[in-house]
Amino acid sequence: MPEPSRITVRDTPVDLLRDGSGPPLLFLHGAGGGGRWLTFQERLAGRFDVLAPSHPGHGGSPAAEWIEHISDLAFHYLDLLDTLGLDRVHLAGASFGGWIAAEMATMASHRFDSLVLIDPVGIKVEGWIYPFLFGMELPQLVATVFHNPMAALALAPPDMSIDTLALLYRQNTALARVGWNPYLYNPLLRRRLARIATPTLLAWGAHDRLAPLVCAEAWRKEIPGATLRVFEDSGHVPHLEEPEAVAAAVGEFCLARKGTP
Amino acid sequence: MKFYYFHLMPYVMDHDEPSSWVTLSNRHYDPAVGHTLYHQYLDQLEFAEALGWDGICVNEHHQNCYGTMPSPNVMAAMLVRRTTRAKIAILGNGLPLRENPLRIAEEIAMLDVVSGGRIVSGFVRGIGAEYYSTAVNPTHSRERFYEAADLILRAWTEPGPFAFDGKFYRYPFVNPWPRPLQQPHPPVWCPSQGSSETVEWAAKRRFPYLMVFTPLKRIAQIYGEYREACERNGYTASPYQLTVNLPICVAENDRKAEAIAREHALWVYHVGLRMLPPYWQPPGYTTEASLKRLLATRGKMPTELTYEDLEEGGYIICGSPATVRDKLRVFSDELKAGIVCSGMNGGSHEATLDMMRMFSEEVMPHFRQDAAIDETASVGR
Repeated sequence: MPEPSRITVRDTPVDLLRDGSGPPLLFLHGAGGGGRWLTFQERLAGRFDVLAPSHPGHGGSPAAEWIEHISDLAFHYLDLLDTLGLDRVHLAGASFGGWIAAEMATMASHRFDSLVLIDPVGIKVEGWIYPFLFGMELPQLVATVFHNPMAALALAPPDMSIDTLALLYRQNTALARVGWNPYLYNPLLRRRLARIATPTLLAWGAHDRLAPLVCAEAWRKEIPGATLRVFEDSGHVPHLEEPEAVAAAVGEFCLARKGTP
Repeated sequence: MKFYYFHLMPYVMDHDEPSSWVTLSNRHYDPAVGHTLYHQYLDQLEFAEALGWDGICVNEHHQNCYGTMPSPNVMAAMLVRRTTRAKIAILGNGLPLRENPLRIAEEIAMLDVVSGGRIVSGFVRGIGAEYYSTAVNPTHSRERFYEAADLILRAWTEPGPFAFDGKFYRYPFVNPWPRPLQQPHPPVWCPSQGSSETVEWAAKRRFPYLMVFTPLKRIAQIYGEYREACERNGYTASPYQLTVNLPICVAENDRKAEAIAREHALWVYHVGLRMLPPYWQPPGYTTEASLKRLLATRGKMPTELTYEDLEEGGYIICGSPATVRDKLRVFSDELKAGIVCSGMNGGSHEATLDMMRMFSEEVMPHFRQDAAIDETASVGR
């Protein structure tokens, strides 16, 4: 795992994990994924210069009081690219991170050579209401998010110390700030998805119980030309449940779409 | 000392569900039973006035069997016309839970005018579970509380119309009719469980602080912090700013009182307050500093408290009239609390009325040196 570096994006401190070589790829983690460098990132680092920042309030990044809305996070990451002098990148996001990535792509799709959304939340899908994770105890939470519960161990907290519990609470708070109500979606996003001109891969777990395949179909319909790839042994987090296969698929998709200047 | 009779209006039942809040299905609620309960509970509150209680209290909770008063102002409205003397304390309205808190300013003013100025207006944030039941974002809880309180107080005191442009609440015209009868406004109380932010906020405004269902040791500590905060703000706290809410169980002798409390008073803790851990602390409801303090001093969950814990910890007062008097003196003489709010549960409506009568005859008269004082005269405003 690379050492985290601390950068400042328009006065907001950000912990950044960065490793690998190749074209730059910005990876936006899901809830609970901040500050982690797992097999998925490790594999991508073989083909990309992987940038994995922790969202404000997640991992080692302190909470940012100014963040009130999901679009604040999207602008925050566009600012992060400016800060690092990265004009164009490959953009990937999982779950909550996929939501942020989709918001960014509706704002500035010309800056992304490719877009990978792994079981994103963020839009309202007819006939589906996301289960309310904030009210769940751990066993129910794991059963909702993971098809393979052993994969959850990768996100297990190191201990139950007061500092660790406070970090978990801070992460939940940062997520709730932008996702409590409307719960895990932005009512304005769905119509805007048609603005995305970036080649888009939707990577989806076949057994996702948080955002099931009916959601994937809605995303595929809204993003012009989007490709859907389903991972048969995964739930909501295929990049944790089948990291090798998902990393390979992402690499293949992105590198086939090398940037046009 | 002043006595307020407090009611939760519980829907007393047994169940095996993991939570009595948020998810306990309302198919368990039988409206015919509810009809009887509501009338018994309102009768008890009205009876409290007849027996000499200084005030009667209602409160707000949502989607649970612990307390069936989602709208405390509705209950207060029923009491206003059936009573003539007692204060009616609404403890309180959950300010952040409202999308339109100006409505609270209007409703309290209505009640105050009709009651001839007998309303005490509690301002609360609501407990954590409320944010699951109302879908209000708990990370906004504190900010919405302060902003709504500011709006309501200004609506009561500043001549309208004026514009209010807050972060959560925005009105081009604030101009509520009626205005409250009590001037400058009905006394405001802050029922709370001791967060240092609320202590400071209440002390600064001379709003009485009400400790709810808290062990004696912690009450003493928070009262100390509140008194210090008052001194920092340039005045000494009146006893009528220090209030406590705890159940009382009184009977002919200690043994009988204990038997009743074991059978009936424990329900509040073991069933009424049973809830999933996430409901206690929704994300952002508590500041990180408060959360760390809570974790460091982590006590038992309500469902883990034994009768002995409640009795010895001073969560409840239980015993013969003499024993109850002795225990109350800890509040009046040592803690210098001026107001005790308490509910009683004898196990049946009739037994509860009997217990209330015994308390009013054998306990209350021993604490009446301040009978001529209006406890709301100089505080809460």
